[in-house]
Amino acid sequence: MTSKDEQQKTISGIDVMRGVGIDRAKDFWADAWDRVYRRPGAFCALVWIGIIGFFAIFSPLIANGLPIWLVQQNADGTTTASSPLWQNLTATDLMLLLGGFIGIPWILIPMKIGRGHRLGMLITLGILSGLIIVLASAVSGYFGDSGASRWAREIEQTAWFVPVSTSVICIICGAGFLFIPFVDRILPRTVLVVVTCLLTGLAVGSRWNEPLINYEKYQEMAADGDARAWYTLVPWSPNESRTDLYVVPPGLTVKEKLDEMSEKPFGDRQFIMGTDGIGRDVLSQMMHACRLSISIGLISTGIAVLIGVTLGALMGYFGGIVDLLLYRLVEIFMAIPVLFLLIVAAAVLPRNTYVMMIIIGCVAWTGAARFTRAEFLKLRSQDFVQSARAVGLPLRSILFKHMLPNGVTPVLVDSSFAIASAILFEATLSFLGLGPEGQASWGKLLSSATGVTGTFVWWLAIFPGLAIFLTVLAYNLLGEAFRDAIDPKLRKAAH
Amino acid sequence: MTGQTTMSNTNDPTSSSSPIMEVQDLAVSFDNASAGPGGPRIQAVAGVNMSIYPRQTLAVVGESGCGKSVTAMSSMQLIPRPPGRFDRGRIMFEGRDLLSLTEQQMLKVRGGDIAMIFQEPMTSLNPVYTIGDQILEAILLHQDVSNEEAVRIAVKAMDDVGIPDPMERLRSYPHQFSGGMRQRVMIAMALACQPKLLLADEPTTALDVTIQAQILELLRELQRTRDMAIMLITHNLGVVAENADVVCVMYAGRVVEYAPVFDLFDRPMHPYTRGLFRSIPRLNDSKHRLITVDEIVEDPAEYQQLPGHAEGVVPWWPDPPDGVKPELVDGDEYILHQIDDNRWVGCFRSTHLDSMEASPPSLDFRRPDLSSVGQ
Amino acid sequence: MFSYIARRLVLMIPTLIGITFVVFMLLALSPGGIGASLRVSGGQMEASKAAQLEAYLEDRYGLNDPVVYQYAKWLGRICPVKFGTRDQVTPSGELIRPPKSLVTPWMKESLYPDLENPEARKNEPIDTGSLDTDEKKARAYRTAARDYAKARADYIVATKELKHAYARYAKATGIEGAVDDDGNPRESRIPGVTIDAAAPSWKPVQAAAYKVLETYEIAEVARDRLSTIFGIKPFDEVGVPVLPGLVSLASPDLGTAFSRGRPVSDLIADALPVTLLLNLVTIPIIYLIAIPSGMLAAARQGTLFDVLSGATYVALWSIPRVWAGVLLIGYLANNQYLGWFPVSGLHDSDAASFAFLPTWTDGEFHRGYMLDTLWHICLPVACFVYSGFAVLSKQTRAAMLDNFNADYVRTARAKGVRNIDVVFKHVFRNSLLPLITMFVTIFPFLLAGSVVIEKIFSIPGMGSLVLEAITLRDRELLLANTIIIAVINLLALLLADILYALADPRVTYD
Repeated sequence: MTSKDEQQKTISGIDVMRGVGIDRAKDFWADAWDRVYRRPGAFCALVWIGIIGFFAIFSPLIANGLPIWLVQQNADGTTTASSPLWQNLTATDLMLLLGGFIGIPWILIPMKIGRGHRLGMLITLGILSGLIIVLASAVSGYFGDSGASRWAREIEQTAWFVPVSTSVICIICGAGFLFIPFVDRILPRTVLVVVTCLLTGLAVGSRWNEPLINYEKYQEMAADGDARAWYTLVPWSPNESRTDLYVVPPGLTVKEKLDEMSEKPFGDRQFIMGTDGIGRDVLSQMMHACRLSISIGLISTGIAVLIGVTLGALMGYFGGIVDLLLYRLVEIFMAIPVLFLLIVAAAVLPRNTYVMMIIIGCVAWTGAARFTRAEFLKLRSQDFVQSARAVGLPLRSILFKHMLPNGVTPVLVDSSFAIASAILFEATLSFLGLGPEGQASWGKLLSSATGVTGTFVWWLAIFPGLAIFLTVLAYNLLGEAFRDAIDPKLRKAAH
Repeated sequence: MTGQTTMSNTNDPTSSSSPIMEVQDLAVSFDNASAGPGGPRIQAVAGVNMSIYPRQTLAVVGESGCGKSVTAMSSMQLIPRPPGRFDRGRIMFEGRDLLSLTEQQMLKVRGGDIAMIFQEPMTSLNPVYTIGDQILEAILLHQDVSNEEAVRIAVKAMDDVGIPDPMERLRSYPHQFSGGMRQRVMIAMALACQPKLLLADEPTTALDVTIQAQILELLRELQRTRDMAIMLITHNLGVVAENADVVCVMYAGRVVEYAPVFDLFDRPMHPYTRGLFRSIPRLNDSKHRLITVDEIVEDPAEYQQLPGHAEGVVPWWPDPPDGVKPELVDGDEYILHQIDDNRWVGCFRSTHLDSMEASPPSLDFRRPDLSSVGQ
Repeated sequence: MFSYIARRLVLMIPTLIGITFVVFMLLALSPGGIGASLRVSGGQMEASKAAQLEAYLEDRYGLNDPVVYQYAKWLGRICPVKFGTRDQVTPSGELIRPPKSLVTPWMKESLYPDLENPEARKNEPIDTGSLDTDEKKARAYRTAARDYAKARADYIVATKELKHAYARYAKATGIEGAVDDDGNPRESRIPGVTIDAAAPSWKPVQAAAYKVLETYEIAEVARDRLSTIFGIKPFDEVGVPVLPGLVSLASPDLGTAFSRGRPVSDLIADALPVTLLLNLVTIPIIYLIAIPSGMLAAARQGTLFDVLSGATYVALWSIPRVWAGVLLIGYLANNQYLGWFPVSGLHDSDAASFAFLPTWTDGEFHRGYMLDTLWHICLPVACFVYSGFAVLSKQTRAAMLDNFNADYVRTARAKGVRNIDVVFKHVFRNSLLPLITMFVTIFPFLLAGSVVIEKIFSIPGMGSLVLEAITLRDRELLLANTIIIAVINLLALLLADILYALADPRVTYD
């Protein structure tokens, strides 16, 4: 903080010429972060994204229709205690919770290792874990599909199928990640990878099949006095549908909608944000949809940046025929509105979250490609690239070690906007009924605002719409702040 | 030639005429954008004094960032305010203080009485308008003439600056001109309204050497025929030696030396000026290594060479070597001291100098080659 | 300039081929392939209609051919340059083509090699000489076409029956892997299978196979007849010949939308003007609002107005259009709340009877066709405008600020140009250039947005057509929409480039 005296001081031209009064150069990204942090809008945006991220991780523990703790009275007078909630958490839930409980302190508590480095480790391990889960779900989907061939289904029935396939997936992924130098020394790296694989493998193996959940079973048990149940803060699951409780306005309790419930213990359960057209709690869906929103934004943009930067780097570095051909590809994708392509792709491909991430990533890469291309065209003729080439460095090293860090800034700044638009795409596709199936989504909720009963249901329009809006706004504000912080020309114009 | 008669009247270098523009104790500061609001301000120039006489070329010399351009821009009120601010001082032009004129009054001065040409001919012309549009705009703003008459004036101006086929080129766009040609266009535009003073802000820096010489020759020629004063801002000492009448050397927002061109080149007095001259490479020099300005300004002996050093006349320098600084009075440590009839040197404001009456620099001097041409 | 436009138009062709290839592959490689509509609606569709659709798709794409070949066939239809026999067009506008050869009966070689042909072809030659008038020719063609369509439908139905029979047989005798999970026989497994002719379920297979061969023969005969009659040209030929008999030019054939039973080109001709109307109303409004507000923000850079408007732009730009649309229709159009605007459509139901201009008759105000349309497009256009306006305003401000610091502005001010003239004459004119380029961003944005907005406001434009094609799995319609949208988009981008060339003297396209 500068004191009042210092504020009024003037720096003479002499001082300026000698570099007095000019801040010492900070690390580029640290400086950018500092500037972003100081803008109130961007700060609020970070807080909002933090809230969404929090719900993305912890929503199964906050909004769940299953009792978190259940004490059953057995016939012989003994009691058995269990946690249906815990038993029904999916592998993704488990790993995210684990990641949340370990990762958040890991990032926030100051340590000797740099924060960026720690974040990098967390992200790498997260990708490893996610990859195992996705592959496992693909395997389980392939073998468990009713259309699968007979031998596949026979294999699936055997007792060793789950442990073997889980271990194979874990070993393949883990071995691959051992080669990624996210930690310099090999021993800690191996330990981290092995631990992550083990934990993910356990989570995946123990939750191989999606169980059928009967929410009302526990409620009835509790109502009959057979058991005592403790519930989470919001005692509804996003896909828990009660057709007798459709379109309940916000704030109403069950007994206010259904008279016969007034005597029963679950009658005073409240729908804080109402219910939708088939009687699912809106608040619970809103919370669970955070995960879709956050992950679609980050992962699809990650894919788009990966494709775009690679192709853009090749175009910019080689120029000539490579540029000509690859740029045709960019043009092809620019010839048609992105949303249109997404609609077509989403309509004909399987409706699940992973496919949606991939198609958004595969369609929205042209921006990153063009930015990278332009930067690499500029960098190509610069001396440090020429000298790197002159000493005979391999192409991979020239492109990704020497040029990329210098040319990736505009892409990274733009990626904040790209995340915002990916979230918009997801919301739009879900609104059009082309979103992932069996997954709570803000866009899907929004679409039921006008469609369900022929009337306009305001709480189905306001809450999810506001959530989409605020999230998109947050990423846009963050992007603006980053752009202003990084682009010196715009920085000048901002004053 | 219209200039001929007036020229013969002012041939005599000693004839006393009044300066056309006087900069008096100018101080300009800027908000430091990178420090954010409320941060320290940057003092671009402080206590700058200079004066220009008709038909005179005053060269303002110094390294970049020393306040040359700020001085020139201030006299046009072209300093963006904010972040800029005039802290004190006056710029007198024909009896009026330019700094106190309203925007409305300044419009008449800009382009009319005082014209300016800039360093970057490539970007200083508006790319979407034709050359003709841009010259005519200037003429129509300042002269009450019909369109046809304005075209005639524009063609004449372009002819004067040596653009071939001016009638045709009026319809061309800036990008169809080379850099040198564009600078000629800029000059034609500046001179179309017969200004009394031309501020040339590094007019040749961006051009290659042969074009530089042509443009400077052109400026001198036009000055001769139009009786116009030129403030030539440059950091090229060769340009100064060949074109200037009076030289004003600036450093860090201050005038460090002010003298007629020949005197200055013969006998530079301020260590910085000496450093500048000594650091010019020469072909016949047997020395292997060039002397840098720093070596000279860090040498205490250089400070002692100034006449009157014993009484406390010490050249001003922001960061002098030990033992050089004399006893100073409170307030500004700088003063522009008249050392000789026609020499001013920026000095430390010692008790001795503070007691003397300060006289602002004013030199009605022109190089004889200019005067002799008129005869 | 004209050579530039021509070159750009030619360069559009590879881009169009590329984009349609991407979409075609997406459709063809997704589950169900290009004929997915057969599977999806197969349940509800009656057998003969399904057979008709299958015959249509078979003719058009060759459903058993490799995907790339299917794409090439489709491209040949779209391409305005046609090779070989020219198509003909009936007076009612229906396009007819020379009949394609039939697919050989299913698994003819392996399944029933020893089955005798049911009967020899009774190929009576047609007396073409007697068909001397156009009317007679047309009537003969229609009869032959109807016969052929029926015979072919029979053949397709019989083939299906055979497959089912074989599947039942395979299941009954427990042949490993001969039947997939959908109940269809696997062709690759059949040749190796030894037939157990004694099995009771083999009899129906044989009967079905006989039926297939029989219907095949009948269909072949009908096809030959149709082919002959087509050869005597009962109708006018389509297009302009370039090399007679070899190459001709004709308008692209976008096919028939089976979900609607109408040619795709008709559907697009109805929908396209609606979408263009919305866009053409929107774009001027966006520019008219955005430019002054952006200029104002730039001129008052750093003031409260600038900061507030900057925040407003980001906020507006972040509002999802689906949300804006739902809120507008919910609060402004729905009768539950204000009900000021119509909820859906582009016209009143009785708009066709309105006079074009508003009238005042019998002391009553009639809004007329034009005002009625304007009233209907108010909310959709508002939805289009707000986000585009925000993007453009922001861009205007940035462009103006860029130019405020430019050297030529300093020159102009040194000339004594008034501040306001500096802004309008010098800065603004230069800031226009990036704004024209912004068109390249805004137009696809609007075009894509029409899918959402037309859905929310039930407007029958291209967007609704696309969604309909998707829900009904009408891939013909989807492909045609893709190419039309791509063409419009590319033309708009070309227009932006041309405008840029006109506005910026530095750009020459010669």
